[in-house]
Amino acid sequence: MSSIQGQVQVLDPIGLHARPASQIVKLVKESGLEITIGRPGQEFAKANSALRLMALKISSGEALTVEVETDDQALAEGIIAQIQEFLKAD
Amino acid sequence: MAPVPGAILNGLGVGLVSAVGDVLVIKQSQPLPEWKKSTKTKEEELADLKSAIEFVSSHLDELGIKAGGTSAEIFDALKMLLEDDELFEVASAHIEDGWSAAAAIGKAVDEFSELLGGDPTFDERVADFQDLSKRVQARLAGIETALSIPEKGRIVLVGEDFSPADTAQFTDAVVGVITLKGGPTSHTAIICRSKSIAAVVSCPDAAGLETGERVLVDPVGDRVLVSDDESLATKAIAFVVINAEPLIPVRANIGSLEDAKAAHETRANGVGLFRTELLYLSAKTEPSLEQQVASYTEILKASPEGPIVVRTIDAGSDKPVPFLNMPEEENPSLGVRGYRLIAEHRSFIEGQLKALEQARLASGREVWVMAPMIATAEEAKAFADLARSIGSYKVGIMVETPSIALIVEQLKGVLDFISVGTNDLSQYLFAADRMNPSLGALLNHWQPALIKSLASIASGAKAAGISSGVCGESASDPAFAVVLAGLGIESVSVSRSQVTAVHNALSSLSLADAKQIAKAVLNETTAEAAKATALREIANR
Repeated sequence: MSSIQGQVQVLDPIGLHARPASQIVKLVKESGLEITIGRPGQEFAKANSALRLMALKISSGEALTVEVETDDQALAEGIIAQIQEFLKAD
Repeated sequence: MAPVPGAILNGLGVGLVSAVGDVLVIKQSQPLPEWKKSTKTKEEELADLKSAIEFVSSHLDELGIKAGGTSAEIFDALKMLLEDDELFEVASAHIEDGWSAAAAIGKAVDEFSELLGGDPTFDERVADFQDLSKRVQARLAGIETALSIPEKGRIVLVGEDFSPADTAQFTDAVVGVITLKGGPTSHTAIICRSKSIAAVVSCPDAAGLETGERVLVDPVGDRVLVSDDESLATKAIAFVVINAEPLIPVRANIGSLEDAKAAHETRANGVGLFRTELLYLSAKTEPSLEQQVASYTEILKASPEGPIVVRTIDAGSDKPVPFLNMPEEENPSLGVRGYRLIAEHRSFIEGQLKALEQARLASGREVWVMAPMIATAEEAKAFADLARSIGSYKVGIMVETPSIALIVEQLKGVLDFISVGTNDLSQYLFAADRMNPSLGALLNHWQPALIKSLASIASGAKAAGISSGVCGESASDPAFAVVLAGLGIESVSVSRSQVTAVHNALSSLSLADAKQIAKAVLNETTAEAAKATALREIANR
């Protein structure tokens, strides 16, 4: 299986805090797919753990890469778009 | 030493309700056993850990259902942290290394706390997370952590501080809460305010209270009395309006178009603080001049009648504007923020001033502009020159650093007005971090050093022919607004919800009265005495 990447940006003024992290984890678990998130060029964190995501200490305004293990382009894009939604300001 | 009958224990009051009840001291639960190597098989330890996590997790579910509303969300978030896959994996690895289940979860939580720590956004979460770890460890050791609070009677709980899991167990019998630690923004304070439970926080002397003693929790008086006489409770003052107009104009604080519209519905005389950051905090790229002009024009037009005081951007690395690329700092509140951004981002601040000038012309409104975080007369002059070269508005600065507060007189001829931000002025004057809940008492606006500073700022401004206002949260306290007027402050700007209360307070007495009250308050040497004197003097007018 190959993987598909996409970019998202953290727009929430508090950065990637507990609420968006837990929303992402819930989505990832429901999808049953292997999904990783991280700063471009740095080590990625598995997105099945809100603690791991919070520990990245992502600030507002940062761009992130999301990698979805799937061959289904449409599915991956949908998931990435959903993650971007979670990272918007309230 | 145990307080004697009639003793007064000072703290910080939460809310307006007072209550008499019987003390129930909540002791920190039994100490947890030390972490040990396992004496069981790894499979047994893993199974124990799993069932302890499940137990605490279902307990959180129950608490969430009991608490309901926004508190339920807190428990959902806690549950998610506890059931985190990665946390379990890390703990399992410790079990593989031969540790007991209790040691494994303790170590795993410590490791994640380390990773999350040092960031103010997560500090509260780290405390909650550690609380969960203790609960799991207590379950594994067979220690009871539930509070047993009677369902009937009139109970006043006394403890260090209470966690969300504790407050969810408060029964209807809980009429009062006293905490030794914790500030006015602690979880305990927020819950008590929303449930109208009488509460006094940050009250270290309450450590001497014993279960069964009868006390009066008196939040308006910021104190607890060892007494069963409810009539001793400090009354919230009812101001009787005698003048049509307040002693000094009462303006509103706004940050958005919605705020401006809502402020228009109040009796506010203009806007004393328009925080412009909100327009930029969520923008990926710098908004064009046209976009800024359009937003500002709309907000100026919607604002209540009267002048509109606009503060130029007040951002820093703790409140970053995405497109300004602010590097992380060791101490953001002491770093490059507010007007200090001019060194790196001059064109942005100039753009903001240009947009405000065009919006001023387009809306036909009276606009005043001011810069935050000014520390020297030189900076004040540089900002005034820049602003006057761009637009025809009144020009001023925020007074929030002790350095500028000391030399207000030297600003003669440089500025039209100043506005005191008492929240930040307190933080810098007392060297007390606003984000740190255990420093709440130092940030109390009745602290004599703050009041003295305000008096000197007001007289310095008068001598320099500059109009002075206060836009910090202190001005939203009606009794304090009366003191401000008495000190010679010439306008206040308050949160929208407080406009009516402050307007009434300032319409209930003469300027001579306000001056007398301020004079009496200036003689006091503690925050508690300053507030008590103000309330007594106001009541006697």
